[in-house]
Amino acid sequence: MSKRLLLLGQWLLLIMVSPALRAQNQCSITLKGKVVDAHTREPIAFASVAILDQDIGTLADENGNYILPNLCAGTYVLVCSHVGCHHAQHEFEIKADMSWDFELEEVSIVLQEVVVSEEAPVLEATQSSSTLDAAQLQSERGLSLGDAMSQLPGVTTLNTGATIAKPVIQGLHSNRVLILNNGVRQEGQQWGSEHAPEIDPFLADKVTVIKGASSVRYGADAIGGVVLVEPRPLPQQAGIGGEANLQAFSNGRVGIASGMLEGRLKGKLPLSGRLQGTVKRGGNLQTPGYYLDNTGVEELNFSWAVGLQQKQWSTEAFYSRFYTQLGIFSGSHIGNLTDLQQAIERERPLGEGSFTYDIGRPMQRIYHELFKWRSSLETGQAGTLQLQLARQFNRRQEFDAHRQYGSLPDDLDIPQIEFEITTHTAELSWEHRPVRRLWGSLGTHFMRQANTTDRGALIPNYENYSAGAFWIERWKHYPFPLELEGGLRYDYQWMDVGRQGQDSIGRQLEFSNISGTAGAIYRFPKLLNLRFNFGTAWRAPNVSELFSKGVHHGAASYEEGDPNLRPERAYNTSLTAEVNDVDKLQASLNFYYNVIDDFIFLEPRAEPVLTIRGAFPAFDYAQSNARLAGLDWQAAYELLPGLEVGSKGSLLDAWNRSRKEYLSLMPPFRFEHSLKYTFGKAGADKAEAPFLRFSMTNVLKQTRIPAERDYAPPPPAYTLFQVEGGAQLRLGKQPLELGFTVFNLFNTPYRDYLNRFRYFADETGRNVSLRLRLPFGLESGS
Amino acid sequence: MQSINSKFTRFLFFFLAASLTVWTSCEKDDDEGPDNEEELITTVRLTFTDSAGNDNIFTFSDTDGAGGNPPVAQDITLAPNTSYALSVEFLDESDAANVEDITEEIKTESDEHRLCFDYTLPIASIDNLNLDGNGKPLGLTSSVSTGDAGTGTLTLSLKHQPDKDSATPCATGETDVEATFDVIVQ
Repeated sequence: MSKRLLLLGQWLLLIMVSPALRAQNQCSITLKGKVVDAHTREPIAFASVAILDQDIGTLADENGNYILPNLCAGTYVLVCSHVGCHHAQHEFEIKADMSWDFELEEVSIVLQEVVVSEEAPVLEATQSSSTLDAAQLQSERGLSLGDAMSQLPGVTTLNTGATIAKPVIQGLHSNRVLILNNGVRQEGQQWGSEHAPEIDPFLADKVTVIKGASSVRYGADAIGGVVLVEPRPLPQQAGIGGEANLQAFSNGRVGIASGMLEGRLKGKLPLSGRLQGTVKRGGNLQTPGYYLDNTGVEELNFSWAVGLQQKQWSTEAFYSRFYTQLGIFSGSHIGNLTDLQQAIERERPLGEGSFTYDIGRPMQRIYHELFKWRSSLETGQAGTLQLQLARQFNRRQEFDAHRQYGSLPDDLDIPQIEFEITTHTAELSWEHRPVRRLWGSLGTHFMRQANTTDRGALIPNYENYSAGAFWIERWKHYPFPLELEGGLRYDYQWMDVGRQGQDSIGRQLEFSNISGTAGAIYRFPKLLNLRFNFGTAWRAPNVSELFSKGVHHGAASYEEGDPNLRPERAYNTSLTAEVNDVDKLQASLNFYYNVIDDFIFLEPRAEPVLTIRGAFPAFDYAQSNARLAGLDWQAAYELLPGLEVGSKGSLLDAWNRSRKEYLSLMPPFRFEHSLKYTFGKAGADKAEAPFLRFSMTNVLKQTRIPAERDYAPPPPAYTLFQVEGGAQLRLGKQPLELGFTVFNLFNTPYRDYLNRFRYFADETGRNVSLRLRLPFGLESGS
Repeated sequence: MQSINSKFTRFLFFFLAASLTVWTSCEKDDDEGPDNEEELITTVRLTFTDSAGNDNIFTFSDTDGAGGNPPVAQDITLAPNTSYALSVEFLDESDAANVEDITEEIKTESDEHRLCFDYTLPIASIDNLNLDGNGKPLGLTSSVSTGDAGTGTLTLSLKHQPDKDSATPCATGETDVEATFDVIVQ
């Protein structure tokens, strides 16, 4: 039984799509069989078996046996899948009870598993998308969410020092990337480049990045893409299980402990529940030459979920709380342009620094709370109705290097900047049953958001109301190789802008527009999938772009918004080719061409702004027509048994069409090459077999920059090496997962163009991380 | 075995139910804080006192803060070949009805601050800076000597947390104030 709970982590990736079968009088045929490993013939526990294009499916039991009762006579395509295996499918003509055994092939890396999720069963995105599954996330545990995602092709990070990382998808970030945390659009202070996503990475069991305009399903603003952060589904079987994670990093002497306990009641009220929490503490980080003063971090997060699943309906409540206090490298805090030039000229911070866990000013304290309730109802032949209500609260406090003048010494705890934003959302969607091979869903979305700026006057207070509706349809006729998709969305937004500092703005702004998508997937059997997508999306200017007014001390710049900005409009074309050769090769190549009209960016003013603190370079929010074109790839090839070579790359060319120059702050060309050796025979346990992986990341110097506008030229190219390994042990019956990673193996000093602190200090040096995961289960006595 | 586990199960669900009630303490927008009011230095006031005790006062001010109207600096007009005692004050004049003197604040935290003077002829020298609590230069008061008649500039900066042990302390720390005046000696 403990093995069953051990495997929870694997099969929970797949949600069983409505095990309740729609039994009908004439439909009483039973299909049953066994799921086994193609090589060893050993049973594979908890694989999913589903009928393609219908909401019928089940999970195999711990001995690999599955049963699908109450089928109607007819022709079906059955798909059997399991994490770590290639899925298998078979077409049947079913007249009477029959049995069929599935043989699954193991894969060494899971790139694009058939993702069966609650929202969109069997419908894959026509855009390019990449997923970090539970196993891949495992080896990135302890890093921030942004850093963990940066191993996906086309995804980089925008950093503020070593403690703040935001995901950048194909050159776009912040307000142009939507993050859906457990199905809820994350609403914090995401407009700022030094505002990292407020999500506990240990909560995520799967992270999917959909690249390109994805507004129709996920909402306006998703010009750059969407990040789906999903916790694992609640347990489907009675009993209690959980896991403990411990992790340590040498650089910064970081310690992390994360635990999770989950279970499901037996009997008439099969409630499921989970409790999860993470504690993290780290001190000053170290570059190859010196410590970075005040770069400690503290994090304290927890979440709980309770759910009930019945044949016709299910309901789930989820609550999560994220709290972090993080130090901002003190050498980055400067007063004016002269200070910045002096910092650049001295080429390294003053002093060697020293190690401490204490966090002083400047620092940030961030608190994010999410409560959500989601229910779905099977409406018989009509489809599935789903309602989701959520409330989010975000508080961001920024503490400058020294307290404001005029306050007393006991006020040291008062921040210079404090924003509080409360967001309520309601979503109602209906997924209809297939009609003439058309699958689709319709939905509406409502949001109310209120921001109050309690301290500082960088952005005004505002209230924002928005509503949207979408309709998306997919045509699919198995085994015809072509799949087509089209969708439309309309969004309306009304904003009431109140006071900013001492000024009363009192402006109402209204925006509305449509988004659209058209896509196709063409499958050459057993060889190649082609995906094509054309998406158009828009984004209303954010309140910071409209009304920002003030000095950013970390950046030594004065920024001024423009209340007359128009919405951005993106037209994104993406073409993806995927090779899935079962034995040897897995590869995907994505080309994108993203035209953005009225792209909002910061334009330097000719004259600096003079203040009593000295001169600051001034920037105005301006609009221009832009074009971002690029290529991302990922490939893995099994050279010898157990030995795999991998390659990833991201190339981007970002052009301001109106000004005829490059856009600034875009990720330079980036490549990663890797060699992975898996010890042990190809067996049922291969996914858990010990492995060793070397990788080399090569980032070129960014040469695509607008002329003469930066304080310092982009840093030179750099190459980093990394080695990691993992193994699973067994102490008696207790499984134990161990892993290590050495980041920046050769302690190479380097600076990154997309780090705003590149003017002040090097990136962090060698970092050895050790991790231990202890999954456990207790019998329920069934 | 079964009873232990069902107890465990019950415990878990009791725990979850408790967490529902206890931890759903939704945080609310508290509207605390000084309602966007932050004190800042808007004015630097230099008082040059000659040996006869006559005060010559010049200011550099930006009462509306960053952006908006640029700062206004008065020309410093002094006599040639004369010694003055210079005293510097920092004020918050953003609210004309409630002017605050921030100089006291700097005095209280004297070891975290330092005034730096960058000047050209006709100012011949600025020295004799007053000291902080640790006996290191602070500069709220100093001695100024002028040379022959002419025009030049004086830049005064207030550094926060400079490295006072550095050979060039004025190249370290965070600049809180940087005010440049035209100097006319006639």
